[in-house]
Amino acid sequence: MGHRDPRRLSRRQFGVLGTQVSGAVIAALLGIPIVGFLISPLFRQQQAVWRKVGDIAGVPDGEPTKFEVAFPQDVWTTAEENLAVYVVKTGDNTKVFSNVCTHMQCPVRWETALHQFLCPCHGGLYDINGANVGGPPPKPLPQYVHRTDGTTLFVQNRFTEEI
Amino acid sequence: MRRRLSAAYEWFDERTAIRSLLRKGLYEAVPVRGAWFYTLGSATLVLIILQLITGIFLTLLFVPSVTEAWQSLNYLKEHDAFGSIVRGIHLWSAYILLFVIGLHMVRTFFSGSYKRPRELNWVTGVGLFVLVLGMAITGAFLPWDQAAYWTAVVVTNIPAYTPFIGSFIRALWRGADTVGPITLSRTFGIHVWLLPAILFPLIGAHLALLRKHGEFGSYINYRGAYKSREGVDVPPAPAQRPIEPPYPAAPSEELWAAPLQTEDFYPHQTFKDGIVSAALVIVVFILAVAIGAPLEAIADPATTSYTPVPEWFFLPLDELLVLVPQQLIPLVLVLPTGGVLLLLALPFIDRGPERNPFERPAVMVPGAFAVLFVVILTLLGSGRLFNL
Repeated sequence: MGHRDPRRLSRRQFGVLGTQVSGAVIAALLGIPIVGFLISPLFRQQQAVWRKVGDIAGVPDGEPTKFEVAFPQDVWTTAEENLAVYVVKTGDNTKVFSNVCTHMQCPVRWETALHQFLCPCHGGLYDINGANVGGPPPKPLPQYVHRTDGTTLFVQNRFTEEI
Repeated sequence: MRRRLSAAYEWFDERTAIRSLLRKGLYEAVPVRGAWFYTLGSATLVLIILQLITGIFLTLLFVPSVTEAWQSLNYLKEHDAFGSIVRGIHLWSAYILLFVIGLHMVRTFFSGSYKRPRELNWVTGVGLFVLVLGMAITGAFLPWDQAAYWTAVVVTNIPAYTPFIGSFIRALWRGADTVGPITLSRTFGIHVWLLPAILFPLIGAHLALLRKHGEFGSYINYRGAYKSREGVDVPPAPAQRPIEPPYPAAPSEELWAAPLQTEDFYPHQTFKDGIVSAALVIVVFILAVAIGAPLEAIADPATTSYTPVPEWFFLPLDELLVLVPQQLIPLVLVLPTGGVLLLLALPFIDRGPERNPFERPAVMVPGAFAVLFVVILTLLGSGRLFNL
């Protein structure tokens, strides 16, 4: 033992190293697929679909009107979920708002008496143009990508800006 | 028959050492004075076990799917009276558990039980408190009624205000940009597997450390006349006091090493533990039968009439969401995170040997203010939501 070359691994050091390497190999082979599995939904492209909202000829000027639109729930289910859409016509201009509050994504509603959109959770307020005018919301009300065909309104299941 | 049984016990003991294990478990010396306050830990454990048992049985019916979660619980409500009681016990024991674990923590805080050598008892306890809160929040998502859905939306949206990686964390939990099928699957998995898989081993560690150092009790157990087991009252010098195992493996100071008067854990402490736990379970059962677990209308993302109301234990944070202005929304993350970090650091900040709460104002006063802050936020929140 006395003349052992210090640059060479001892039997004991070799055992330690082997145990650690084995552990690391097992952890890596398990960890890589699990982390990939966890974050894979983040890289999935949501399928863009157009949906008919309805005929907006009857929507009064300056009065937000609620429609419900069925969008696919996406992922594996074929079920659809209804989302609320507020159509606001001011003159020739049509805006299509989501009712998702930009603060905590609670369901915003149009309050006729206030003449504002109100979020019931934490008291966020938006004016008729969707501008955040009171309470905690940090951004204006999101708008859907939309197009019209005559007086028929279509929306896509995405917003003009990320929230 | 009796001889046979005793022979079987001998056979079993020879192979497992069950006798010494039981003896060690049951005949631990515990402090006498204030013992009713020391029932809070065992009550917490009993309520957690109630959660485990009712939770296991609920998975025999519940379907973690956005199209069927609500239907499966609605079936329970409409067609299964006993199943509804099981769900009621799961809900009400969770509510009471949050209360009791909070009291247990406050008790430990005021009695200074977290001091050397019991710092890690406290640290594991804070971990358990956070995990129990995590169980409460993830559990609230699962019924997929209106209350559950909007809780899921708001709670998963809070981490979105983390600087730089916020929307990444939100999408990681939701499994998409919006709350949907993957959110429910993931939250269910977190609730029934991931958190319990951490929670239960941590309970084991918490109890092992408790046994390692013995129960501290409170400063009142370390002052005044010493009462020996024979009932002779002598005020001995601390060094003369018998320090029975398993009292502190690493004694802090002689004065705090062993309580003046102890008695056996079984049956004296277990009697009080049993009374308190049984009383709590009776209350849980009555609430489960009389009120049960509510189930609102099925989740409707298109609603413009429903006002989301958070679970009561979420009220302090919800009130912060109202009070914090738009430029400072990340505060809603910073305050609870900072609070937990402070709790974890407590035994390493407050390191003096003094245990008497009245002689530790530097810790007691900020602690009392922190409790008051949470209580006031809760009161403000309930006032706002329920027009009190």
